[in-house]
Amino acid sequence: MADDKRDTSTMDKVWNFFTSLKLAITVLIIMAVASIFGTIIEQNQPIEKYRQVYEDWAYHLLDRLNMFDMYHSWWFLLLLVLFTINLACCTLDRLPRVLKVVRNPKTTLDENLEKTLGQVDRWKKKGSLDAWADKYAEAMGKTIGKPRVTKNGDAVHLYAEKGVVSRFGVYVTHTSIIIIFIGAIVGNVLGFKGFVNILEGQSIRQVSTPRGDRSIDLDFAVRCNKFTLTYYTDEHGHQTQQPKEYASDLSVLENGREVLRKKIVVNDPLQYKGIWFYQSSYGQAGAASAKVAIREPGGALVTGLSLFAGQPVEIPGYGRITGTDYQPNYQGLGPALLVTLEKAGQPPSQLWLLESRPDFDRQRKDRYYLSFGGLSQAFYTGLQVAKDPGVNVVWVGCTLMVIGLLIAFFMSHQRLWVRLSPSADGRVDVVLAGSASKNRLAFEKKFEKIQSDMKAVAI
Amino acid sequence: MHIVLLKVTALFYLVGALLYLHFIVTLREKGAKLGRMFLLIGVILHAVGFAARYAVAGYTPITNLFESLSFFAMAIVAVFLVTELRYHLRTLGAFIAPLGFGFSILAAFQPGEVVRLAPALNSYWLPIHVMLLFLGDAVFAVAFGAGIMYLLQEKEVKRKRLGAIFKRLPSLDVLDEINYRCLTVGFPLLTLGIITGSIWAEYAWGSYWSWDPKETWSLITWFLYAALLHGRLTVGWRGRKAAILAIVGFCAVLFTFLGVNLLLPGLHSYTSLSG
Repeated sequence: MADDKRDTSTMDKVWNFFTSLKLAITVLIIMAVASIFGTIIEQNQPIEKYRQVYEDWAYHLLDRLNMFDMYHSWWFLLLLVLFTINLACCTLDRLPRVLKVVRNPKTTLDENLEKTLGQVDRWKKKGSLDAWADKYAEAMGKTIGKPRVTKNGDAVHLYAEKGVVSRFGVYVTHTSIIIIFIGAIVGNVLGFKGFVNILEGQSIRQVSTPRGDRSIDLDFAVRCNKFTLTYYTDEHGHQTQQPKEYASDLSVLENGREVLRKKIVVNDPLQYKGIWFYQSSYGQAGAASAKVAIREPGGALVTGLSLFAGQPVEIPGYGRITGTDYQPNYQGLGPALLVTLEKAGQPPSQLWLLESRPDFDRQRKDRYYLSFGGLSQAFYTGLQVAKDPGVNVVWVGCTLMVIGLLIAFFMSHQRLWVRLSPSADGRVDVVLAGSASKNRLAFEKKFEKIQSDMKAVAI
Repeated sequence: MHIVLLKVTALFYLVGALLYLHFIVTLREKGAKLGRMFLLIGVILHAVGFAARYAVAGYTPITNLFESLSFFAMAIVAVFLVTELRYHLRTLGAFIAPLGFGFSILAAFQPGEVVRLAPALNSYWLPIHVMLLFLGDAVFAVAFGAGIMYLLQEKEVKRKRLGAIFKRLPSLDVLDEINYRCLTVGFPLLTLGIITGSIWAEYAWGSYWSWDPKETWSLITWFLYAALLHGRLTVGWRGRKAAILAIVGFCAVLFTFLGVNLLLPGLHSYTSLSG
């Protein structure tokens, strides 16, 4: 017996602990304070960086406390778990009571209830009690809702309510947080995050984890057809140094066949089989080369060259050319290439070739003329890769959270009672009472209106 | 041009603030009415400036420190005018209008030329995410003002000195009501702001939450206001505690907005310093 009693009281204590608001507020504040540390101490940096910043003892202390990856540490997760249990317990503790109140509303207005209500008014009417009950029921139907009628001895009770759902707003919000956590766990367990660099023209079947310590196989291949970096142009139509768009033209390949092709930019990723590819970075692969065409005076193409800076190329039966300089905007005429032309038995000559005027070099009236077709630079694109099967669960949670908050804050459970009873002087005693769960000031006004409307009703 | 227009706007806010302060000293209705007039003209000018900058830049101008400080000032003044319309709390103006002036003049000293939009910000979520958060922050600014007024008024009531200050400030009940109303509007806005930010982050970076300092600080702010809400709704924290938390909450709002960009490294830092 005694043991039993102690057990239940211990259980009660545990239950009370987990359903207490003190716990909720304490955990909220501890998480807030802990998070502050996580923003002061930079997270997930290389060890050497921390070594530079902190003294030995400080480094070891912070490392022991998992402060360098705090948000994934056991103790932060423990706080999150505590928070979730608290939320779940509070809901389990309070929801049944609310359900009971909602399912079995007090439909009769007795003296005790009357005392607890904020808005009460009473008056007397001549005439038949039933006729007045009908009239008042009609009036209530117009404002709050069609009332339930209860006959209790001589008295008739009318009860109407509106906005019952507002009682559930808080539980919708709390449940939504649990749903978001479930979504996050699903994403962490079944999904992955990764990173991959793809050279233009090449394809990959593997991505590496963010830390680069292992690689993840994809069951399809992704090819980068082209990476383009476009810059904003200034008011004269010339290119500035400000990037406008990073774009990768990607193809998804299954068994070597292209099944999907999309140009992705920042804020517009590609998705295939639940795996998302996001434009994240880029880089230059190797040195830039200049495209130069050798043509006959008539325009017929003799050969096309790729010139790398300072590396001479032999044109059989003509001479050697070397790319020596490049200017993005040569004397206001746009991109231009400076080449050195060496012909047997002649001193080397230097020529500026304009990209905007491919026929410019014709004026030399030589056997061939040269035209500059622009720079060519091979790039690689850096893609963030993610698979998160939990993300839609998270979005459902977020939507519910907003709905729950709107219900909780902007709807109010309004209740209205009318009691009609025969008075000693042969008239009808009328008592009108009401309450609202929220925004009582607004309800006060509404109540006054209902009251004056009802008093004005005549048979 | 944008800077000149903003300076004129700030001047209107300053005159409005001074008129409200004058009202609180003399209690002459005319001062408050004129003050409201100036704030209203100021906010209209501000909106015109915002629209003009939108037209020039081709994107919603809330991408750098100049633009966001300016937008914040506009939101604060607009939210205050709506609050005044509803609650007829003239004295609140003496506490909120200086904030509107302060943020607009801070903005006016930032580099204000229109820059081209960085690829990372080129998204429909930019205006939705940022505007929701600034609106929420502006509502919290009003709660902050009401909180300070509450503490001042309470001091008077406790000392039983029902004199000059007591007469001028609204009753404790009304101030507490404002505290709660601001919370019920500001909290959903903050929540929506964080959620839209998560959606955007998911589409831009493939991760709806990465514990970047800005995200974390907005969550800290959310925790604080959530604690305040629960204290109010269930334990019955009223008045003093609620007022103090509204003030602390707004400090967290300010740190999330400015402190994070200036002091902490992270993904969001481009929004202010590179502009």
